[in-house]
Order: sequence, then C-alpha cells, then structure tokens
Amino acid sequence: MADGRIEQRLRLRAEPPLSKATVLVRGGPDTQDKLARHARRTARAWSLDGQPLLGVSVFAVLDISLDELLSARFATYRMIHLPAAARLRDRGFELLPTGLRPHYTVRLRRADSVELDELLAALGPPVANVQYARSTIWREEGRDVPRRHHRRPQ
Amino acid sequence: MYRVDITADLNDEDETGYLWTFLDEARDPGQITPGALVVAGDEDIAAVCQVVDLAPAGDGTIVHLRLLPGLVDDYRQLVERALAS
Repeated sequence: MADGRIEQRLRLRAEPPLSKATVLVRGGPDTQDKLARHARRTARAWSLDGQPLLGVSVFAVLDISLDELLSARFATYRMIHLPAAARLRDRGFELLPTGLRPHYTVRLRRADSVELDELLAALGPPVANVQYARSTIWREEGRDVPRRHHRRPQ
Repeated sequence: MYRVDITADLNDEDETGYLWTFLDEARDPGQITPGALVVAGDEDIAAVCQVVDLAPAGDGTIVHLRLLPGLVDDYRQLVERALAS
C-alpha cells in the first residue's frame, strides 16, 4: 500500500478479456460532474502500477442474467447505462477486472472534460431499469430478498 | 432529492464485495460505526446501507457498506406501519 493507496495490479482477477458483446451495467444517469467525482474517489483509494487509478465502476453481465443482476444490485436505480464492452474499448477505455467478479473498473487516463465526455458517450444514454424497486425489504405482496450477484461460474 | 448520511457511488465495490466510500464524505463521521444503518448515495440516488467496517486507504479511511434491499421509501413505509396506532 505505497502512499496508502490500495495497489490493484496484483489484485486484478486473472480472467480473459470480456467479449465485445458483453453487456455492462452502470447505475445512472451519469453526468460529467458525477463521473469526475467518482473517478477521483477511486484514485484517492486505489493505485495501479504505483499511480493513482482514475476509474469508475461497472458490472458485466456474466454468469447470471441481466435481470438477475439488475434485481440483485441495481434495484435502487430508475435509470441505468447498458453499453456493450466494445463501446468502451473502441473509445480506448480499459476494463480492469477489479474486486469480485463481475465488477470492473473503467480506467480513465486524465478524467478531464474531454475524456469524461467520451466516457459519457461510450456509456450511452440511460435507459429505464426494468428491475427498479423489484428488490424490497417487505411489501404487502411479499417478495424474497434476491440472491447475491457474486455467483460463481457454472 | 435525498439528504444522505454519506456520499457514495452506489456502483462502487471492492474485493470485499461491499460498497465503499470515504469516511470524510459523511455528514457526521462520528455516526459511521460498524453496524450503523445509514443512507448512502447522493442527491439523486440513495439506498439504505449497513456499515460493515472501516479501513485505512489512501489519505483517509474507507467505509464498507452492505447495500440493503429495498428503496429508501420502503423503509419509510415500514416505519410508518410499525408506528401506526
């Protein structure tokens, strides 16, 4: 933990790169200001190869269905971004397999307005989350608490 | 519009599988103790969370939060039901 930041290089999951068509999920809607704030928070806590790691979180649709992931992890978001992995990579954003599968960090290089605009474009417009409010503590009709989303590969 | 106890990106997660943010992003850091229930997020998106632990990172202290199911409004309704006479 040089300079107190948590070095991520040796913590990255040893997994093959995501396929181009893999769908990524990020709760939104995002703005340039929000992305900048979140990228700075990541850089404050994490480093990569000894340098502050500017990045924002996304989840890949792996091992479980999109609906299961949305219900388990994104039920508080009315709107979500659903880019394919290729949309980010084609714009030069690296997808780092950080944390537990299926979490990834979209790496930024500068997090300046140009790059943040590019990231917003890569994330695409927010869409309605069909699983919004589907994960409840208890309601009159009753629903189960969802399973965790960190399911191991089958 | 929410007034959260601690600012966080609810998308964030680390190797613990928990949501995380910095302690100094809390309105009252003294309230952020393991087991405490808090509202985390920002003015647009918020969720009820339970504080799991605190750990040093970077130039501050990271707070791990367990994201609890349901909307903030669900909890309000739950409390209203419980307190209804």
